Amino acid sequence: MHLTGGLNPEEYDRSYSDRELVRRIAAYFRPHWSKVLLVAFMVTLISLTATITPVIISRGIDLLSGNPQLQLLLALAAVVTVLGALGWLFNFVHLWFAAQAVGDVVLALREDAFRAVMRRDLSFFDQFASGRIVSRVTSDTQDFATVVTLTVDLLSQLVLVVVIAGVMLTQNVRLALITFTVGPIVVVIALVFRRLARDAMQQAQRAQATVNATIQETISGIAVAKNFRQEGAIYTDFQATNELAYRVQLRRVVVFGSIFPLLNTVSGMAVAAIIYAGGLMAINQAVSVGDWYLFVQGLSIFFYPITSIASFWSQFQQGLAASERVFALIDDEPVVVQTAQEPVGRLRGEIAFERVTFNYSTGRNAVLQDFSLMIPAGETLAIVGHTGAGKSSLVKLLMRFYEFQAGDVGVDGRSIRTLDLSQYRRQLGLVPQVPFLFSGTVADNIRYGRPGADETAVLTAARQLGDGSWLDDLPEGIHTDVGERGARLSLGQRQLVALARVLLQDPAILLLDEATASIDPLTEAQVQIALATVLRGRTSIVIAHRLSTVQAADRIIVLRDGQIIEEGDHEGLLTAGGHYAELYTTYFRHQSLDYRPWEN
Amino acid sequence: MTRREFSVADAYVYDHRSSLRWLQSHIQRYPLLLTTFLLTTLGMASSQSLSAVAVGNAFDTVLGGGDAAALTIAALYVVAAYLGYGLFDIVNSFAIRVLAQRVERNTRDELYLSLLSKSQTFHGRQRVGDLMARATNDVQQLGLFISPALGMTIESILTLIIPLVTIATLDVKLLVVPLLFLLGVTLALRQFNNNLRPIADQLRATFGQMNAGLAETISGIEVVKGFAQEPAEEDQFSHNARAYRNAFVREGEVTAKYLPLLLYGLAIGLAFGHALFLFQRGEISVGQVITYMALLGTLRTPLRFLLRTSSVIQQSMASAHRILEMILTETELDENSEGVAQPMVGDIVFERVHFGYGEEKDDAMALNNISFHARPGQTVAIVGQTGAGKSTLTKLLNRTFDTSSGRVLIDGVDVRDWSLDSLRAQIGTIEQDIFLFSRSIAENIAFGARTAVSQAQIEAAAQEAQAHDFIMGFPNGYETVIGERGVMLSGGQRQRLAIARAFLSDPRILVLDDSTSAIDSNTEDQIQRAMRRILQGRTTLLITHRLSQIRSADLILLMKNGRLLTHGTHDELMTHSLVYRQIFIPEERRLEIGD
Ligand SMILES: Nc1ncnc2c1ncn2[C@@H]1O[C@H](COP(=O)(O)OP(=O)(O)OP(=O)(O)O)[C@@H](O)[C@H]1O
Ligand SMILES: Nc1ncnc2c1ncn2[C@@H]1O[C@H](COP(=O)(O)OP(=O)(O)OP(=O)(O)O)[C@@H](O)[C@H]1O
Ligand SMILES: [Mg+2]
Ligand SMILES: [Mg+2]
Repeated sequence: MHLTGGLNPEEYDRSYSDRELVRRIAAYFRPHWSKVLLVAFMVTLISLTATITPVIISRGIDLLSGNPQLQLLLALAAVVTVLGALGWLFNFVHLWFAAQAVGDVVLALREDAFRAVMRRDLSFFDQFASGRIVSRVTSDTQDFATVVTLTVDLLSQLVLVVVIAGVMLTQNVRLALITFTVGPIVVVIALVFRRLARDAMQQAQRAQATVNATIQETISGIAVAKNFRQEGAIYTDFQATNELAYRVQLRRVVVFGSIFPLLNTVSGMAVAAIIYAGGLMAINQAVSVGDWYLFVQGLSIFFYPITSIASFWSQFQQGLAASERVFALIDDEPVVVQTAQEPVGRLRGEIAFERVTFNYSTGRNAVLQDFSLMIPAGETLAIVGHTGAGKSSLVKLLMRFYEFQAGDVGVDGRSIRTLDLSQYRRQLGLVPQVPFLFSGTVADNIRYGRPGADETAVLTAARQLGDGSWLDDLPEGIHTDVGERGARLSLGQRQLVALARVLLQDPAILLLDEATASIDPLTEAQVQIALATVLRGRTSIVIAHRLSTVQAADRIIVLRDGQIIEEGDHEGLLTAGGHYAELYTTYFRHQSLDYRPWEN
Repeated sequence: MTRREFSVADAYVYDHRSSLRWLQSHIQRYPLLLTTFLLTTLGMASSQSLSAVAVGNAFDTVLGGGDAAALTIAALYVVAAYLGYGLFDIVNSFAIRVLAQRVERNTRDELYLSLLSKSQTFHGRQRVGDLMARATNDVQQLGLFISPALGMTIESILTLIIPLVTIATLDVKLLVVPLLFLLGVTLALRQFNNNLRPIADQLRATFGQMNAGLAETISGIEVVKGFAQEPAEEDQFSHNARAYRNAFVREGEVTAKYLPLLLYGLAIGLAFGHALFLFQRGEISVGQVITYMALLGTLRTPLRFLLRTSSVIQQSMASAHRILEMILTETELDENSEGVAQPMVGDIVFERVHFGYGEEKDDAMALNNISFHARPGQTVAIVGQTGAGKSTLTKLLNRTFDTSSGRVLIDGVDVRDWSLDSLRAQIGTIEQDIFLFSRSIAENIAFGARTAVSQAQIEAAAQEAQAHDFIMGFPNGYETVIGERGVMLSGGQRQRLAIARAFLSDPRILVLDDSTSAIDSNTEDQIQRAMRRILQGRTTLLITHRLSQIRSADLILLMKNGRLLTHGTHDELMTHSLVYRQIFIPEERRLEIGD
């Protein structure tokens, strides 16, 4: 079940020694040891019944040469029947308990993997495609389950082989030895096959993953493709990858298509050999007909496990590789690490950036360099500046989404590295630049930060914005379904929902990153009135290109390439006649009634 | 003939009347592979029975006092039977596997093509996760359906039946137990399938839920973390994963209770007793007993096969149904390749246009009775409050959606009579909610062009959009890969890439939906100048909240609640529309809103 099976190694992948891997897998089974033991016991019983049945039949056939009593024969038949029923019963217990153990283990592994993903900071999600992360948590764990099931199967096969070999040896050493010579031949074939199979399998899966990724992305961006009428181009792209995947799959067909016929033929030759050798011995009375029969039958029982070990080996390895990937995901450390877990009460909201240096990844230019900024509690600070200056980055740092490389960020005099992250973040209310909504209703989304909030509280928060008339435009008010990512709302409506979500959360510090950029001026003006009340007494950082939004701020800073190039209040900055003044005049020329930029 | 927005000329036509027929038509596309497969399967089953007979003969030879020479011949028969089997087997397995791969490839192609040909209304309704599941898992499931499932099933059925024929040649009486057994197996299989079906559905549904939930959590990770809601998400995930676990265990239980294997165990004993009984009565030889038991022995493998294939076949039928359902979903738009295809002049007329996203009543429509006329080369500004229907209106122009009633005319021709190809190629849009692909910056910009473009053209477009400088600031320049949906860029950087992309498409009509909202005024000025030059003489639909742009528009549409309140030039609206004045002149806002 690969959605976009991520097979190319990710940066955080590592390889584990076999011992380590086995230890890790075993640890997951420890809580279920009684079931595992039961399953193992059943497996042994199954092997025994599977071996005894042909032995009894062969004894029966031996009896036929003499002049046997009917009762005796029927008794034998009855034993075979009972064994058949018992075998089924053992198998039932085996499968049922194995399913329970495997189900629980996979569940535990999935939960661990999910928790590990949740621990990661945002740099992880920037770097790794979401489809691949998803497939690690859901599909790779599934493959892990396959390993476990296969291991149990393989073990039971091995037990069977050993038991049968023992029985054969006790019956007739020479025939047994002839049978065993088949072993090495099969092993050699299996070894050659194993390498071919692994390569073919890996290539096939990579090709598959590429096709899936192509589909995933073009489907998500289908609207763009349609707007530009580029369906033809993306279809051609798709066809090429699809065809390539097909060709790679053909290679797999050749390898896997020939292995079973080959092994079957080898086993057929062995049967012929046993028939010939056993027949000769039977002619010379060196062996009974029953034994001879037993070996002919036993051969296939002997063979079956060996071929299945050989053929499932690649799947087994694939499963091991999958568990390696899951463990790598679980073991990888997040970049953002808290040095302590100090409890965070209600924050006063004093923020201090002290000589902070930050870049998203090494090799990229620093977004902030030696950056210092003090924000006293209760201040409304506005940040303006050129796009790409680092405004959003600043806010994301404060949210502790990313790790900074030097300096320190403090809140109420404590470094944010030392705080309990959940409690800390609950004190911050962020409206991100691109509003994200979860599928569900408007109310569900507003309630996201406070899941217990009742409908009245949700409505109050929503009505606080403007006069709440925006709710009237929604077909079912706050119960309107917003669609995936909120796609059924207009962009402005999405921003309003994101704002209401933060209002309901009632944070100590507000971070508004272009929170009203897609809202019309009239509604925005109404929203500003509401915000003015909310912002009073709380520290807040407001980022906006619409300068009308920031005029009322206590202090304005102008950011350029991660540096503060100006600061002061609106009046002061205007009189200073610097960058802000220039931005402001341009902005207000834009808002004035007789401005035509292309005419200057 | 279904309607499509996009099609290719030489697409193979499959039978869509039912999922079974559809699968059948996919398989029958390759009659040679199919016949080869069927014939070799027959050959396999026959040579398998022959080998059992050969084994029995060998025993009879020895017991009948035959010599080494006779034994050699008997053994050679066994060799021949197995070699024959191997030969059939390899051809058989190639044929079915190649067929499976082709069907997989072709169904994926068919589905993908049909997804491309669906309207945006359709895509707006679908969850991407769900479409993906169909295009990947379900398609792969069809491959598994053919090989191994279908192959194994046909093989199993033949290997269940042909031994019976062989047994009949030994002694008809020997058929009693196998026939009873077969009857039992048939009934048990049906029962088994009935038990399995709901669980197989559940398994898929719960897996899908777990996957989709996780995907959404990850797309919204910034919000999850921002609100410290990781524990709630964890609960949600655990809940989903547990539902899957329960379905998994239930499947294990049903599979464990697979009755045919029990029947087999019992049948072997009974058959053995019956054979011994007949031997006692002198009706069959030891060799025949052995052949009989060997033939019964071959029945075990098909039973195991059927156990595995039953669930695969059921899941595959469900998958086929889901894929076909997608393919058959009616789409309201047609590409209309015969339609008008001519250079656009840019004259736009809306005539009493109504539009609704769902099946709302008239008063809840997203657009109500919109009429206006924009002349070629004019700039039309659309203003109105959030949710008024501005973006929606522009989406009717290039037929992202079709009107519910009324007409949209371009150059006097109803957009529905335009060839979709020609229509969309000449209308460029910068959407409000920008989507960028996780490819390189160069590829993203080039996406707008209909033909291959040079690096120089890409850079020129980026220059015009004021994007060149920041692009060159990245270590990899135009080759920088920008992450999913462009997460590695700032808001304004994303918008400028979208602008460059639209510039490169060289449209006759351009729709700018709030396309500079994340860009500072200075940069915007520069972009405006470039736009003015590039768009000289082209009709432009402009949604913006910047007064200067609105005021210089030739026509302004003022919208509210999906209605066109009024339209005219800035001066006209300033004099007669209070709502309009309220939007731009703060002092007017205290008055009651009404027009
Ligand atoms: N997730 C990320 N990974 C790597 N680089 C990033 C990431 N996010 C932003 N950047 C880069 O960091 C720089 C600052 O971006 P930021 O988003 O902070 O700008 P901004 O000031 O908010 O701009 P805008 O006004 O356009 O939103 C930009 O050059 C951008 O390309
Ligand atoms: N895909 C959709 N499905 C259902 N309803 C939608 C969809 N897109 C928009 N709507 C609804 O249609 C109405 C008009 O939306 P539209 O996006 O046209 O508004 P807008 O004027 O562009 O607003 P904004 O200024 O916020 O962008 C809104 O009430 C919105 O909720
Ligand atoms: Mg930003
Ligand atoms: Mg809009």
